[in-house]
Order: sequence, then C-alpha cells, then structure tokens
Amino acid sequence: MIRQVEKYLDKMQRDRIGKPGGMALVASDDTVIGQGNDALQSLGSSLLERLDLTAVALVEPTFPFTDYLVVATPTAETRITPRDTETRTFLHDIPILRSSQLSGEPADRIAELLGQRKGVLVEGVGIIAAGSITVEQAYINASSLFHSLLVMYLLDLLTRTNIPEQELQQLDDFRRNWLKPLVSPETLLPGKDLNDPTTILQEMSRVGRITVELGLVDSFFGNISCRFDNTLYISQTAASLDELEGCIDPVPFDNSSTCGITASSELLAHRLIYEQTGARTLLHGHPRFAVIMSMLCDTPDCPIDDCWRDCPHTRLLGNAPVVAGEVGAGGLARRVAPIIGDSGKAVVYGHGIFAIGRDGFDDALNAMIETEEWCRREYFRRLDMKISNR
Amino acid sequence: MHGWHGQALHVNLKTQQTRSEQVSPELLQSYLGGRGLGDRLMRETFTLDPFDADMPLIFAVGPLCGTDLPATDQLAIVSRSPLTGTIFSNSTGSRFATRLKQAGYDMLIITGKSDKPVTLQITPDSTVIEEATALWGTTTTETLSTLAAKGSSAVIGPAGEAQVLFASIQFHDGGTAARGGLGAVMGSKRLKAISVDGDIETAVAEPQRLANARDDILRLFNASPALFGELGFKEFGTAALVDLIARRRMAPTANFRETFFPGSFNYSGPALQKEYAPLKNGCHNCPIGCRVTASDGQPLPEYDTISQFGGLLNNDDLPTIIAANNTCTALGLDPVSAAASIATWSELRGSFPEPEDIVPLLHDIAARNGDGEQIAHGARRLAEDSGRPEVAMTVKSLELPACDPRGAYGIALSYCTSTRGGCHQQAGVFAPEILRKPVATDRFSFAGKAKLVKIGENNNAVIESLVACRFAFFGASLEEYGEALAAATGIGHTLSELQQIGERIFLTERCYNQQNGFDRNDDTLPERFFTEAGSHGEEFDIPPLDRVRFYEERDRYYRLRGLDQFGQLNTTEFLGKQP
Ligand SMILES: [Zn+2]
Repeated sequence: MIRQVEKYLDKMQRDRIGKPGGMALVASDDTVIGQGNDALQSLGSSLLERLDLTAVALVEPTFPFTDYLVVATPTAETRITPRDTETRTFLHDIPILRSSQLSGEPADRIAELLGQRKGVLVEGVGIIAAGSITVEQAYINASSLFHSLLVMYLLDLLTRTNIPEQELQQLDDFRRNWLKPLVSPETLLPGKDLNDPTTILQEMSRVGRITVELGLVDSFFGNISCRFDNTLYISQTAASLDELEGCIDPVPFDNSSTCGITASSELLAHRLIYEQTGARTLLHGHPRFAVIMSMLCDTPDCPIDDCWRDCPHTRLLGNAPVVAGEVGAGGLARRVAPIIGDSGKAVVYGHGIFAIGRDGFDDALNAMIETEEWCRREYFRRLDMKISNR
Repeated sequence: MHGWHGQALHVNLKTQQTRSEQVSPELLQSYLGGRGLGDRLMRETFTLDPFDADMPLIFAVGPLCGTDLPATDQLAIVSRSPLTGTIFSNSTGSRFATRLKQAGYDMLIITGKSDKPVTLQITPDSTVIEEATALWGTTTTETLSTLAAKGSSAVIGPAGEAQVLFASIQFHDGGTAARGGLGAVMGSKRLKAISVDGDIETAVAEPQRLANARDDILRLFNASPALFGELGFKEFGTAALVDLIARRRMAPTANFRETFFPGSFNYSGPALQKEYAPLKNGCHNCPIGCRVTASDGQPLPEYDTISQFGGLLNNDDLPTIIAANNTCTALGLDPVSAAASIATWSELRGSFPEPEDIVPLLHDIAARNGDGEQIAHGARRLAEDSGRPEVAMTVKSLELPACDPRGAYGIALSYCTSTRGGCHQQAGVFAPEILRKPVATDRFSFAGKAKLVKIGENNNAVIESLVACRFAFFGASLEEYGEALAAATGIGHTLSELQQIGERIFLTERCYNQQNGFDRNDDTLPERFFTEAGSHGEEFDIPPLDRVRFYEERDRYYRLRGLDQFGQLNTTEFLGKQP
C-alpha cells in the first residue's frame, strides 16, 4: 500500500493541484501509512480513525481560490454546487466548512461531511477527498474536486463585481505560471501509421500520456479510441489516460463479443461518431476552459432550465460546435455524432471536448488543443475586458 | 412512520395462528430491514436444526421498497441453511416484495410445520392458511399459474418438497431465492406457496429529496458501462459477462480444472441474442431490466447458470443450457449448486455427462432417484462420502459460482469470509476487480484486499437490508442510496453510521456461525486453487494462489474485523451489546 501512496502523491504533485509541500495522502489498511505534509497527514489520520475509508487525499491549492469560493458563498449555504458535468454526475455537490466552524476537534466535523460526499472543501485547509476502497480513488476524487472547483471559480470571476487587488495578483500569477502554454501541434512527435493492433495500442498509450502532460486533462478524465478494420480499440472505464497499457478493450463493431463491457462509458459516442464521420481516431477529455466556455450561454429569456440535458441548440466556440447531452447513455452520444464531422471537434455542455482524426491521432490532438486554446484566449479576453472596465 | 410500516406478520403453520406484531423503531433503525432485520429476528433460533419446526423462515423487505426509487423492488429471505449450516440470506428482486409491503408488512416470519401441504395468502385484511394437497408435487410453473390471480407468489417445487439441500424458492416474476436450500426449509414446513397482495402505500418523509436522489442514481446508471452501456446488462442481461470472464480466464471449466472453455462463445450474450432474439425484462420499477426472456416468453438464464451448465460441465450446447435452466426453475433447484454438484459427481466418476443426460439428472436430483439421491446432498457431502473431499469446489459447503478465485484475489478472499459460504456477492468485490467500478483494482494482487473485502461486506450488508439490488451498485453507491434512505424515512444516517450498521449485521452473522461451530478452518478454499494453475490468457498466466500471501491477507482481515488470530470473537459480549 505504501507504493500506492507514493505513486499517487507523486501524481498529485505532477498535476500541481496543490502547493508544493501542501499535499498529503494517507491510507489505512490494518495500519495507517501517510506521505506528504505533516500537518495534513495528521489530519488525514484522524479522519481515517473516524471513517472506514481506505485513503484520504488532502490538498492545499496553489492559490487560495477555494477560500475565495467559500467566502463568496452565502453564509446560510452549507454546500456549493459547481455546474460542470463532473459535479452533476459524480460529486452531486461539495460540502463546505468555514474556518469559523472548525473550533474544537475539526476532524469530527470534517469526517461527518466527508461521510456524505466524495470530498469536502475546508476553508483555510483546502480540498479533502475520500478513497473508499482504493488509494487511487482518493487521488481521483481530489482531482475531480479540484477540476470542478477551479471551473466554478473561473466561471464566477466573469460575473463578480469586485476582485480585490491581491486576488488579481494571484490570478495573474496563476495565469502566467501555473497554466501551461499549450504547445503548438508541430512540436509534437509525428504519429505512426495505424496499421496493426500493436502499433495502435502503443500510439493510444503515447497520445493519452501526451494529453495529460500538456495539462489538457486530468489523467483520469478522458478516453481515447481508434478504429481498425471492424474493431474499435477503446480505453477502459476508470482508466487513466497516462497509464493506458493493458487498459484498452478491443470492441468488434458488430457487437459479436461483449468483452467491451468494461470499455469507457462513452463507447456509444465513439461508435456513433465513427459510423457517421469515417474518422480513424477519437480523443475525449475535459479541458477546463472548454468546460467553462461551454456553459457561457447568452440566450436571453431562455425557457430551458436543464441545460445539460435539454438544450436543443448548437452554439459555436470558434469553429467548434457545442451541444448538450448527459454522460454515457444519457444522450450526448446522439447529439455529438451528427455535428462533429465538419470541424473535427465538438464540445459538450459543461463536460468537455470530443476531437477526431482522419488518419492518425495528430489531428485529433491538434483539434483538442485548438479548441482549448481558443476557449482559453476567449475566456481571458472576457476577463481582461471586465477587469479593465472597472 | 415513514419508509417502514413497523409491522411483522408471524405465522405458525402448526398452530395455524397468525398475528401482526410491531417492530420497534430501534430495531428498524439499527438493522434497516431485509437481511439485517431477518438476522436480528433469528437471535433466539439460529442454533436450531434448519428443519426444526421452530426454525423461522423470514421474508423481509426494507424502507425503500414501495417507493419509486430504482432497483428497490427487492426482499431478503433469511433462515439457517440446511446445505451450509450457516445463517443464510438470499436477496432477490420480485414484485412479491412490493406486494408484501403493500399488504402492510415489513416482514413475514413463518414457523411451525403443517401436517398437510398448505398455501399462505396474505392481504391487508386477512391471512389465510389453506390446504394445498392438490398442489403438492406440481412444478413451480404449474403452481404459479394456479395462483396467478392471487397477487404475487413465492413457491417451491418438487425439490423443495423432497428437501433437496439446494432447493430454491421461486417467485412469479423470475425472482429466486436460489442459494442455500431455503426451499428445503419451506418444504420441511409443508408450505407450498405464499401469495401476497395489497394496496397500502409506503409513506415517504421527503418526496422531493427522494426524487433528487432518484435523478442522481439514474444519471449514474447512464454513466455505467456494465448497466446501461451497449454491451451491458440492459442490452444482454448478465450473459454479457460470459465473454468478459472468458477473456479474464476466470470461467470455471470441468469442475475448476481449467479456467477457460473454448466453447463458451456458443453461449455468450451475443450468441443468446442471435439465437433467441430476447426481450428485455426485469423487476418492476427497475430501469436496468437484467432479466431477459426469449421472444417466445421463456426466461433465459443468467450468467452463473449459463456458465455452470456450460463450461463447468464441459458442455457447449446452448439448448441444453436453456433446458437445464428451465428445469431448475420448474423443479425448484438452485442451478449453481445443482450444476456444481453434478460437476463434482462427474469428476468422481471420471466423466462428464452428455448434454442429453443433464436434464434427466436434474429430475433425478429433485426426486432423489438413483444417482440423484447422492447429488441432492450437495458437492461437499457427495465428495466426502466418496472418500475424496478435495473434489468438492465448495466453501462452507456452498458450491462456488462461475468465477474462478485464481483470477481475482479479492474474490478469492471473499469466498472464504462470506458468512453464507462460497459466494462473492457479499463482499461485492466483483465490481472493482472485474468491472473496474467504481475504480479498478489489480486483480492479481493481495495488497489492500482485506480492507476492500471488509468495506464491501459492510456496505453490502446495508444494501441487502435496504433492500436494493446489488447490480445498482455497479453504477450508484451508498452515497446516493443513503440519501434516498434519509429521504424515505426522514431519519438521516451518516455514512459511518451506515457502515456501523453493516458491520453489526455482518458480525452478527459471524457470531451465529461461530456459535454453530464454524472456525478459521472453514475460512479457506479447496486445495485445488493453491496447487493447480488455471488456463493462461493471451498476455498473462493464472498461477495457483500463493498460500502464504493468502493466509497473510486473511489474518489481516481478521485484525481489521477485530477478530482474534483464530478468526473468533467474543460472541456473547458482541451480541449482548447489539440492539
Ligand atoms: Zn467525459
């Protein structure tokens, strides 16, 4: 178990979801094992004494945007509900604890809330996420909370009336130093021809890893596939894009085998896209600025109240169409397939990007980078305009 | 009261007395319903012989039954198993559950032995015990069609009447209390059938909150490849697992001598679909609809049955598998134990039956004729009586289902720690080890598996007490169902309180078993799994289990459970402290 703790703490550090030295991962088997920040470790251990979990991840974010979210939440509210799909499908909402509520034994109060949801937000501490049955699960939930909260924070910034100077400086630092520049596609290694299963599996693993290294997606959230003859090679459900070796299912197009029951929950979307576009490759992930921009809709007096599920419109982000539709069998597959062919890219409301390649993975990856780049630029253009208008 | 009715119906078949009794709110909140409440109500009787007149046979629903929450048309059937000697709970989906609740009861407790065969008919206004000599000897199918107008029914077949140790209880809509021989307990009471009907609604404390929980759960079903994926249960039924288990080299073949059966593509999900153009079916109120029926209406078998009558018996003939399933249903036999006992018998005599001999053999078992008489006692007794106990692929006398323990080490451990014997359902580790839900674990590693099994056992004890279908947890989790419980009952339980309830239920069962003589030596697997390799896969081998690591992890499990090194606990003290 110690190896798992080391591995996932290392991943948290590489993902930079917390301050260097501001993260800890604690796991419990018949003994408790922890790594990382001492104070956070001891808080983690106290939580594991109170809850029958396998692991807890504790993250003090790089800049205190989580605290700003807590401050911005009306005092009567005990939880916040980011509007992205990750929250909507898996997290439901995120309980918050204010520093004023932390007197006495904070672990009691935190444990009570952590027992209800996959993670909680504690003012002055940060993100605390549970792994009920594996260490990896604590890592996944921490990165899921980080993603949802950051998306919510950045989205809220566009409507905030007042951003204090200190926060602006932190934001500037985040923008210049934390966000990775999206490399121009030409600097990526050219892909190989996808003419045999072995090469296909290698290429899928390689491209999955690059997608994560570019900072386009958090490793856990995304899927990738390739069509070859009558087989669709697709990453498995709950697989990490940067560790796809051994986690790719071959799924026959004619459904003559059900081995792919462990394939990604977006298998149907992948299949329909191949059927309707003739693409060879497909890459799907949740880059944060595409998620943010997909939720900025200016339709006046729109009568739809469930935008994730019910919006029938196709909007545009640059040349990428945006549609609604929920995860898996929830409808996105049927909405994405008909609109992705022209530009090779599509964005799903609150969720992420689908990008296709005609021959190899290069153009799929490029399409994803382009879309995210456009969304990032557009986001900061709007933010800068808002700030300079003050 | 919200969620529960707080009423138990007691029926004594000997005295013919029936009475409705209140169940205290304390017990309801401490055990929830289903398996947990059933276990609690066995506190005074669990040491009795399973065929003792005073042995209760309990049908229990839970606080979510009768609401519109998905996958909650479920009940638990609890008694002491004549096959294993352990406390035994089966949970299954059937409209019977909702109708029992609509009759006004959370549980039905049957004791006593009738002099003559009888049926029991329960409505909100009356409980009637009726002589049923004419039904005795008929198949479950015949009995159920006779009772069709009387609401929902649970019946036994000839196997239950003959007290075959793995006789099942069949429900009118395909549900079954298959395992552990509870049909024999019902047969020993000369109770042929129970029918329930009613119209009493389950009061929900916070309907809007329940609706929200329902939306959350359905969204997770949508996101679950195993449930709503195009290769999942909704599309193919549980037969979707045939190909996956074959690929993982975990398909028990020829009585577990191999773990891959090349003929399994003959009876895979797609093969079934091609051959029978199945219609989707399933429990009332359940969007998963895992039960499939052929276009002519005959039910198609589920994964374990297919694989047991397939590879386990070296048989790749699909029509035989379908016929064997229908025969088990009609005669009231557990298909998993029936096939596994035949497999043991086959290894003992040195050859597997021809396909055409399988159905006749099942009739012999139910009638206890010829070879059937011996097989009717189950694999463990059969092998011991033949002087070759190592041939029985059982744990605590329960025949293992269609999932080879050498291919997934958490499943291996869970076979041994399950309180009902060789079953991986109680720990629910199939989801993370095989289906990668909610997250994947390395199936070839023991690291973390003791904890995984313990947490899974506690969670599942809660699930089977709510009662919710375990398949729902291939998508959703106790987070959402716990929220639904709070919405239905108006009483919130934190996750750690729910886990405590799960632990209470599980350890209560362990106490009962310990007092009935079970100890560490029963928490182990057949020798074969430690000494013989399984069939190798494309990129991996299936070596024998590492005995040292296996017992290390079992010892760790004991420590996590607060048991001593012999796997024992102070039962009097533990039970004395429980509500
Ligand atoms: Zn996605």
